[in-house]
Amino acid sequence: MTRNPGTPVRRSKIVRRLGGLARRAAAEAEKLRYRLAGGSGDGEAGVDAERVVWIFGSGRTGSTWLSAMMDEMDGHTVWREPLVGALFGNLYYERAGHRIDSRGKHFILGSSYKRTWFGPMREMVLEGAAARFPELLRGGYLVVKEPNGSVGAPLLMEALPESRMVLLVRDPRDVVASSMDARKEGSWLYENRGEEKRRGALPDRKPNAYVKKRARAYLQNIGNSREAYANHKGYKALVRYEDLLGDPPGTMKRMYASLGIEVGEKEILRAIEKHAWENIPEEQKGEGKFYRKATPGGWQEDLTPEQVKIVENITAPLLREFYPD
Amino acid sequence: MIRETWKKIAGKKTTEARWRPDGHVSGGIRPESMVWMFGTARTGSTWLSAMMGEIRGYSRWHEPLVGHLFGNLYYVRAGHRSKDEHFILGGEKDIWLRTIRSFVLDNASMRFPEVAEEGYLIVKEPQGSMGAPLLMEALPESRMILLARDPRDVAASNLDAHRKGSWTFDLERKGGKEKKETLADSQPDAFVRSQATRYVRDVGNAKRAYDAHEGYKALVRYEHLRADTIGTMRSMYSTLGLPVDEEDLARVVEKHAWENVPEQEKGEGKFYRKATPGGWQEDLTPRQVEIVEEVTGPLLKELYPA
Repeated sequence: MTRNPGTPVRRSKIVRRLGGLARRAAAEAEKLRYRLAGGSGDGEAGVDAERVVWIFGSGRTGSTWLSAMMDEMDGHTVWREPLVGALFGNLYYERAGHRIDSRGKHFILGSSYKRTWFGPMREMVLEGAAARFPELLRGGYLVVKEPNGSVGAPLLMEALPESRMVLLVRDPRDVVASSMDARKEGSWLYENRGEEKRRGALPDRKPNAYVKKRARAYLQNIGNSREAYANHKGYKALVRYEDLLGDPPGTMKRMYASLGIEVGEKEILRAIEKHAWENIPEEQKGEGKFYRKATPGGWQEDLTPEQVKIVENITAPLLREFYPD
Repeated sequence: MIRETWKKIAGKKTTEARWRPDGHVSGGIRPESMVWMFGTARTGSTWLSAMMGEIRGYSRWHEPLVGHLFGNLYYVRAGHRSKDEHFILGGEKDIWLRTIRSFVLDNASMRFPEVAEEGYLIVKEPQGSMGAPLLMEALPESRMILLARDPRDVAASNLDAHRKGSWTFDLERKGGKEKKETLADSQPDAFVRSQATRYVRDVGNAKRAYDAHEGYKALVRYEHLRADTIGTMRSMYSTLGLPVDEEDLARVVEKHAWENVPEQEKGEGKFYRKATPGGWQEDLTPRQVEIVEEVTGPLLKELYPA
């Protein structure tokens, strides 16, 4: 007697589920193999630093979109927001910025001992990547989407000079407008937050104070990313969100050429098509949602004249450099 | 079983003495030679660590902030992501605890080579106490001191330290910055609440690490240290399984005694303020006392039952 395999729809669901399980099992086996081999060994191991592509910038600059398209390329894997840049950058530049230049040996991230902590920091990235994405030990590229860790970009790029880097920028006025919408009561980010953070949500209570805070965060994140970009001697690409939106194939092609990574045109077009704004279901788009309006210059409707002034004053040097018009 | 095997192999591969292929350093500090001092600011950690650091065979690592480095991201900034494998401190702990371990040991070895062969390293880390659970889990062979002080006295001491014109302003000035006015002057009750919250975060995490730690550990109360310095220290060294020379101990206790701090360096607004347990009764308003007791409730009850 044989079991009834069910309808074709059920069968295909089962096949898909089994396929998923098999893939997960293979990935787990790969991880265990890596770990059984001892991880780091005596010399440096982990993912090849040259195959790491960092995306720095700031939140709400389109990094999810860009990284999702890059993820579609053959051999590419995306590491979503490890926050390793925030780990080192926050202490180095914010909490204990006054201690980095002290000549003493006490501060863990003191500049005179940079080499001492660059090693383990590098190891944390490369071995951490290998443990999480063991398939990369056989080749391919690791795209690290790290907009919210951009404060640490100068440290990471100095410690990993062989890596490649994308500096993703967007008009700060649009970034602030988008960020404000995301944190308003009832919006997607507001709903994701804990009770305490919701209570302290500024966009509704003190919108101008919030605008100031976000503009300062932009200055620090993009400012530090820019510094890393300027100092980086390896492959790098500057991508403006507005250009990506205006001409996705052209911008992607230019970016990959600057990064020194060969990618087929068809692959690029397929990825663009798959992640096009038009292909996002309507119910997932709009005010208060992750996919909001994707309209450069939307800040003119979203911000008050006073708020525009606040952003322009705080981000002036970056605005002049990246958006001279 | 595979996991266990990996642990064994990985354990053997963790070479504390190693240096990067292009580096120097040979011979590293053993984790059991490290003595971590956790608590929070204004608990007397400068005093205790100064005494310990001057005993022969001991060195002092003054506030490396390595606990803050890992603890802030793990518990504060991205606490909600601990199960997320993409998060650098998320998913399987084995992966990143090993890196934290080598991060600490490599750095300690390079900075304090005199401790590598023999001796002990006192890590004064009150302001990195939020990361105590991670550090003690990564370095289970290390020793640990939980230095506690009545939260009401800690709040009173901090209130004094952050008022305009106090020593923290001078400190910032020396670093080339002008300290901004804090809530200590404009909204003292709010300031006291923020300090009490910080106490719960720091001492709470240090206590969690202390409770979980299976190695040598000692709970030291500032009040006991003030009342009977030499006796408390002797008992602390014994609990920690550490050698100490009696003469050395007497020497450092004498050298750092409150009575030997020059008068002009002591008093209101200064680093050495009053060193009087229970001074909060004069320093805080009844409302401020209520705030601290309300915020630190369970810890206060546990560490200072009455």
